[in-house]
Amino acid sequence: MEFKDYYDILGVREDAGLKDIKKAYRKLALTYHPDMNPDKGAEDKFKEVAEAYEVLKDTERRAEYDELRRHGGASNDGFEPPPGWQQSAGFNGSSRGASGQDFSDFFNSVFGGGFNQSHQSSSNDGFSFKGQDAEIEVPIFLEDTLAQHTRKIEYSIPVYEGQQIKHINKTLNVKIPMGVSDGERIRLKGQAGPGQGKGANGDIYLHIRLVPHPLFDVEGHNLILTLPVTPWEAALGAKVTVPTLTGKINLTVAPNSQAGQKLRIKGKGLKNKTVTGDLLVVLKIVMPQTNNEDTNKLWQQLADTTDFNPRTEWSS
Amino acid sequence: MTEATFQITVRELYTVEYINPEVVTSVVEFGIVQPIDGNNANDWIFDTNSVHWLKKAIRLYLDLEIDWVAVCMVIDLLRQKDQLQRENAQLTAQLQRFI
Repeated sequence: MEFKDYYDILGVREDAGLKDIKKAYRKLALTYHPDMNPDKGAEDKFKEVAEAYEVLKDTERRAEYDELRRHGGASNDGFEPPPGWQQSAGFNGSSRGASGQDFSDFFNSVFGGGFNQSHQSSSNDGFSFKGQDAEIEVPIFLEDTLAQHTRKIEYSIPVYEGQQIKHINKTLNVKIPMGVSDGERIRLKGQAGPGQGKGANGDIYLHIRLVPHPLFDVEGHNLILTLPVTPWEAALGAKVTVPTLTGKINLTVAPNSQAGQKLRIKGKGLKNKTVTGDLLVVLKIVMPQTNNEDTNKLWQQLADTTDFNPRTEWSS
Repeated sequence: MTEATFQITVRELYTVEYINPEVVTSVVEFGIVQPIDGNNANDWIFDTNSVHWLKKAIRLYLDLEIDWVAVCMVIDLLRQKDQLQRENAQLTAQLQRFI
């Protein structure tokens, strides 16, 4: 087992006062707290920092730790608590941090294990706490939001067997209701980590993520489709076939349409039980890739006969 | 088939999640989350997204040892960040289709 140098972790001197320890902890916690730092590794770093703070902020625990540290804690051969080592009587026996994060084997070997206050309940029978919740991202195609469908969810949960952690694979078939939206969370009660004592199992939260669509963008309940049209279709008007999530429809582009103009098709967006969105078709005028002599002549004719300057706003 | 739900009652927060009723009241009073139903504190029902933010707020309160006003500000900024990231991704995707 690796010895943990809590002073080093917090970046404080051995004789640092509580004020400095608190200051160092807060600074590091703000940087690495997993709720504010999504980077890989931030959570582990935060756990380490929280564990160091848990020990050094408490006079009695700090004294115990200092004693251990003085007696060869930092040996290269790895750390083992000295024979006959006893944890302090005043310690509450928590193996978890303020908000329930697990502490290291080193911490548990020195200070023992138990349960934390924030997620625990005490009763005559001892301590109970709820199993850990888990969040699983579920990618969903836009087409699949139009009706209820069943998804197979595969995941693994950690199960404690004595000091060992085993991962058990689980599979659930879940009904995903019609109209789920990006960012929404679905709770599957009691399907995550097992509780301790009389504590309930943790919950699974399915975090819905709409898969980016090759054609459609999402804006609330509306869908946005960018429709490429030729310059002459924009000028003269046209009837074009456009895709929707449920099939193709015919759309009329009015004469003299502009790039960026939006055409609204009612009821062809996303829907849930109470709202049906629209499909917004945005015109994008596309020039031909190549011109031959004949088409160039026609463009020249247009240039000679049309009094149009798209940059009039620049002239002032 | 597994039962899926979009909500959690305040009683479950008390008895299953072991969250202190006073903490839940503070989180609501500071506007971090709002119940979707329930006239008094013991009948509140929250949607699952609110529970996500409620638990995040409690973690920040306990881990950073900051008061609820500060937690409220942090949560507000985190929400704004999430919203702006989503909008940015949407607008970037739309812009790509136009180029």
